[in-house]
Amino acid sequence: MAAREASKCATKIVRPLLSSDKSEAKKRVLNLYKTYYRQIPLMLFDRHLPVSKEECQIKLKEEFLKNKHITDVRVIDMLVIKGQMLLQEIVTKWAQDCHIMTLFKDTVEPKPNDFLSKFVNNNDSQ
Amino acid sequence: MSIRIITRAIQRLSTVRTGTRTPTYFKLMTRAESTTVVPKQKFDSVTEQYLGFGNFVAECLPKYIQKIQISSKNELELLIAPEGVLPVFHFLKNQTNCQFANLSDLCAVDVPQRSNRFEIVYNLLSLRFNTRIRVKTYTDELTPIDSITSIYEAANWYEREIWDMFGVFFTNHPDLRRILTDYGFEGHPFRKDFPLSGYVEVRYDDEKKRVVVEPLEMSQEFRRFELSTPWEQFPNFRSASPTTEEVVSADKEKK
Repeated sequence: MAAREASKCATKIVRPLLSSDKSEAKKRVLNLYKTYYRQIPLMLFDRHLPVSKEECQIKLKEEFLKNKHITDVRVIDMLVIKGQMLLQEIVTKWAQDCHIMTLFKDTVEPKPNDFLSKFVNNNDSQ
Repeated sequence: MSIRIITRAIQRLSTVRTGTRTPTYFKLMTRAESTTVVPKQKFDSVTEQYLGFGNFVAECLPKYIQKIQISSKNELELLIAPEGVLPVFHFLKNQTNCQFANLSDLCAVDVPQRSNRFEIVYNLLSLRFNTRIRVKTYTDELTPIDSITSIYEAANWYEREIWDMFGVFFTNHPDLRRILTDYGFEGHPFRKDFPLSGYVEVRYDDEKKRVVVEPLEMSQEFRRFELSTPWEQFPNFRSASPTTEEVVSADKEKK
């Protein structure tokens, strides 16, 4: 009985966002990654960003690998959609240099870990 | 060369966003419109008229309309299933007895307690019959809803706004992208689980010579929000006694 209930939950029919199965979702992710990868040299040619091509490629890989634990096809599709929108913003130059540089987080100071640096930092919320 | 690659990137953007373009409901709709004949009726009140109209719509589209209700301010509301967005709006716009040709507003409501947490509310106006109607449907974070831009052009920016503020995806929207938030903004601010102070703060950095975005960390005292108004609403009642009334007992009255 419980198994039947579980199977009913597992086979709940949901409306797909873009892809109907995992292989299709994977194709979309790889396609998006390649498009970004090819866009990097053009983006650096058009703008004056204080980063190199290699740094951008590492950052791109890092941003994609951040979500590698996600298995739900619809969540992957939603992330792909958001990635496409960001790419569109970069390609059409709606996003300015500062918007692209937010991805690198080069002004964010790392959080203090040990006792002494926490004490020196003297923040109540820590 | 660069232009070619850019155009290729844009082409890829458009090819990925696929979906069924042909409206399958169309044939069904034209048949229903041609066969329904509405007899003339007399109604005692506006409310009854609304209910009669609501029942007529529900009889025409029994598959999609789940509930008809009249709000406290005497407005007709139709609650529909999310699959029926296109047929219902096609009917309401083009049926001779409806002619709700004007989409006056379209917004969303977030109720996190529900399993389908977002309620999408459409407000329509019929200039021909001088009436308004409100249509409500529901969805969650990951279920897409059909865009009604093919029926109402006005829905374009409203749907972009809902996408930006709530993160509800609309399929077959011609140009779904952010409209209110800044480029690079993450999250959907009108969701109830989005904090009032946001996740990041923005400032100009003199060393970097650009605007930088940093994660926001607030100590507890800044987090306390005073929700009542700073102005006193009823100053005359400042020293008023508490609302409970004292009941004079029968013994005291005798004395």
